[in-house]
Amino acid sequence: MTDTIVVGAGLAGLAAAIRLAQGGHKVSLLTFGLGGLPLGQGSIDLLGYTHPAGSSHPTADDQAVADPWAALPGFIAAHPGHPYALLGTDTIKASLAWLAELLPDWLLPSDGVNHLVPTALGAMRPTLLIQPTMSWPSDAKSVAVIGFQQLKDFFPELMAKNLTQTAQVSAKGYLLDLPARDQEVDSSALRYANAADHPDFVSRLAAMIKATIEPADLIVLPAMLGLASLDPWRSLESTLGTRIVEAHLAPPSVPGLRLNQALTRLAQASGVRLIIGSKVIGYEGEGDCLRGVTLHQAGRDQFYGADQFVYAGGSFESGSLTVDSHGLVHESLFHLPLVGLGGDRPLIDGDYWSDQAIFKVGVATNAQLAPINPDGQIVWSNLRVVGGLLPAAVRWTEKSGDGIAVSSAFAAATDLLNQTSPKKDN
Amino acid sequence: MKRLKTDVVVIGGGTTGIGVLRDCAMRGYKTILLDRADLAQGTSGRFHGLLHSGGRYVVTDPESGRECAAENAIIGRIQPEAVERTGGLFVVTPKDDPAFGDKFLAGAAKAAMPVEEIATSAALAREPRLNPGIKRAFLVEDGTVDGWQIAWSAAESAKQYGGQALPYHKVTQVHHLNGAVTGVTATDLKRGETVEIDCSFILNCAGPWAGQVTEMAGLPPVSVIPGRGIMIAMNHRLVNTVINRCIPPADGDIIVPLHTVCIIGTTDHPVTDPDHLQVPANEVQQMFDSGEELLPGFRSARALHTWAGARPLIKDDRVATSDTRHMSRGMAVIDHSTRDGVSGMLTIGGGKLTTYRLMAEHIVDAMEDQLGSHHPCRTADEICPGNQAGHNYLITHRLKDREADRLESPIICECELMNRQMALDLFKSNPLASFDDLRRQLRLGMGPCQGGFCSARLAGLACQEQVMDAGRATGLLKLFLEHRWIGLWPILHGAGVRQAALDAWMLQGTLDVAHIPSPARVEPDPISDAPIDETWQSSGQKENQ
Repeated sequence: MTDTIVVGAGLAGLAAAIRLAQGGHKVSLLTFGLGGLPLGQGSIDLLGYTHPAGSSHPTADDQAVADPWAALPGFIAAHPGHPYALLGTDTIKASLAWLAELLPDWLLPSDGVNHLVPTALGAMRPTLLIQPTMSWPSDAKSVAVIGFQQLKDFFPELMAKNLTQTAQVSAKGYLLDLPARDQEVDSSALRYANAADHPDFVSRLAAMIKATIEPADLIVLPAMLGLASLDPWRSLESTLGTRIVEAHLAPPSVPGLRLNQALTRLAQASGVRLIIGSKVIGYEGEGDCLRGVTLHQAGRDQFYGADQFVYAGGSFESGSLTVDSHGLVHESLFHLPLVGLGGDRPLIDGDYWSDQAIFKVGVATNAQLAPINPDGQIVWSNLRVVGGLLPAAVRWTEKSGDGIAVSSAFAAATDLLNQTSPKKDN
Repeated sequence: MKRLKTDVVVIGGGTTGIGVLRDCAMRGYKTILLDRADLAQGTSGRFHGLLHSGGRYVVTDPESGRECAAENAIIGRIQPEAVERTGGLFVVTPKDDPAFGDKFLAGAAKAAMPVEEIATSAALAREPRLNPGIKRAFLVEDGTVDGWQIAWSAAESAKQYGGQALPYHKVTQVHHLNGAVTGVTATDLKRGETVEIDCSFILNCAGPWAGQVTEMAGLPPVSVIPGRGIMIAMNHRLVNTVINRCIPPADGDIIVPLHTVCIIGTTDHPVTDPDHLQVPANEVQQMFDSGEELLPGFRSARALHTWAGARPLIKDDRVATSDTRHMSRGMAVIDHSTRDGVSGMLTIGGGKLTTYRLMAEHIVDAMEDQLGSHHPCRTADEICPGNQAGHNYLITHRLKDREADRLESPIICECELMNRQMALDLFKSNPLASFDDLRRQLRLGMGPCQGGFCSARLAGLACQEQVMDAGRATGLLKLFLEHRWIGLWPILHGAGVRQAALDAWMLQGTLDVAHIPSPARVEPDPISDAPIDETWQSSGQKENQ
């Protein structure tokens, strides 16, 4: 059996590990942190916004993408170095279908177009695959936005007023006095989700909503209606007889934690060995063949050898890409060659709203996602680089981070499985 | 249009101007202070936070050294809450000449400044991050000071004596008739209103902008050479004592622990335009190199924010204008009756925050000389409101407060321990405040996340409590993020990049703030806003609806 090491437990790392394990590899998933899912919005983005040609300014001129599959060919043509250009529409499509099948309890089947999900500030945010709790009914005319006095990251009044513009509805904000835990005045959405997993909290919430709000077509709540399952959401909807949508808010992200939890369980059920809380600090290899990595563990550093490797360490936000005090950019684990450093724009400029060039820096790879040096030579033939490490995307403005993570992980894992499938027959 | 009548108009709401407002008011003059921006938003809020012991000047400028030592003691007495008694060290690094230490001791003795040479081992025990190779160390009475708190508590004191501070009032004309001052015209930028103020005296305390004021009066411009200096705030207090390099004044020669951060400064380059101060990349590198010399490992520490300030140096013909650091910091009062034949107007320049009270005393004395009346200056004798004698700032104060009220009010800014009630109280007392106005008083957004979490909460709170409508709240949030970025991008590296990416994921990625419509203009621009005309006024009103 082929030994494969995946570094990083975000969406890309988990997806690669699951696909490799389900394909018969013996997979170890090494991670220092928790991955980015609990920090994100908990839906799966593919492509949400495009800038008009020549614009790097993502505000005024942006175009929201309604049909990402229709937009993708044009986007790929305009962004030749983008991970989507490397992977191609067919692979991206197959990868998202695969992910949706993996998570039938958590993601609605795609109807091929972007959904608009409300955010705590009142934007309607485009995303492709949503959780059942995020489906905004197009016929909603009146909306009640309900928050909690004890949850500071959700802003019913601001959201309601902004929704009147962004969603073209009439909306009213309500603030309920319902602590997640007794006497606590300062609770995260996670605390509320923990509370909502108990039916009596949902009953109290339902009673309070009934007593407080005027009739509305739709209720919007912060994303907190259950972590263990979506039963709290279902039960509240049926009790109130009104459709309920969960809105995105700042981390900790309950929908992100749901996906993280589901994918982690799937990985474990598929036989992935999960080693968490330990940092990969070194590697060994010969020629273009990586032999293994050193993991910094309590007590001593431990060498983990493997035949194949997937590097899903994330980007600047996770510390896999770093900038030193002289302004030099590094990939911090394997010291891989980077692209995106020599553009005609400075790496960082003073316009907050522009797509900063620094965040488009990433690891140079070939079409198989193996790292390459500036001559096009493969650095490590048995290593694949996936997710946020890939260059040329500003994922938060494009709303492309999940799509890049899933499709690159899927492509890398498929490629590695194909390479080793003859051995499996022995 | 609004018309006001007063004895004295003070132009410039930095610490000097506010000190002058307080002094005039205490001596019984009806006084109004005008600033085009917020109080202490210029030079007074853009320095390193050092309350000078005088040590920096005892060798090169003993007069300044003496003044600093005396004023340090006075500020510590009248505004103790704004002062932290950190103490200071002058250290000779391996690269420096130990003989300068002898000049330093001699200068200190001459300036009557307390100083004690201590063993380098004692200095290292006190500040373990110091360069272990230091050759000499001198203990002095440096402190740190919050320029904003100095300004507000002095303004509060002035208010008790009838003095009135009007921030966001931009002076557009200075009037004089038959060789005597008659008044000023100003624009109330936040309300979009013209204000005419009749007065018989104008005290020009505009610092680096003083020349613009005299020009407005149609007088030959006072020659001010703004000296630009950059500062970098580092996350955490790498030191708890002010660390000075024991050399003649140079770039990057000081690290000041202030609130939750420590600040390295500074550089000095003459500039022509104090409104547009750059933070050049080479000066950032210079600060990191100097920091490394004093505190090895400095380059690996987290840089939080950077800014540039303009020294308000009045041109002194004794030295070349290209070297502003060596121009006299001694204050200069310019009398426009002898200089330009217009009575009732004085301009003050030079000085430093530590001596702001003394500067005020000098210019008000000069005014009284011209008026031929004399009242004693009492600003050194009376403690400012909000202060308790002997009660200095301690970094743990907010932690203590939050421990006490944690079951009453949620924390909006975790980095600086600012809670909901603090924001609400300030919003209610100043409903026209921008998020930056709040930041200067509450410190929100000044910690490691640089507004990543707290700024959206503030927008939500402001709208929820009906302090403002959703358009203004959204617009102020965007403006705040733009403004924070100004101090981030020139120093972005290490953990700062990581934080910037995380903040972008949250605000632009998850919350999608960029795609919520908001008015193009939510706040006046003190620099570019012209005097009011009808078009401006009507568009301003429309946006506020």
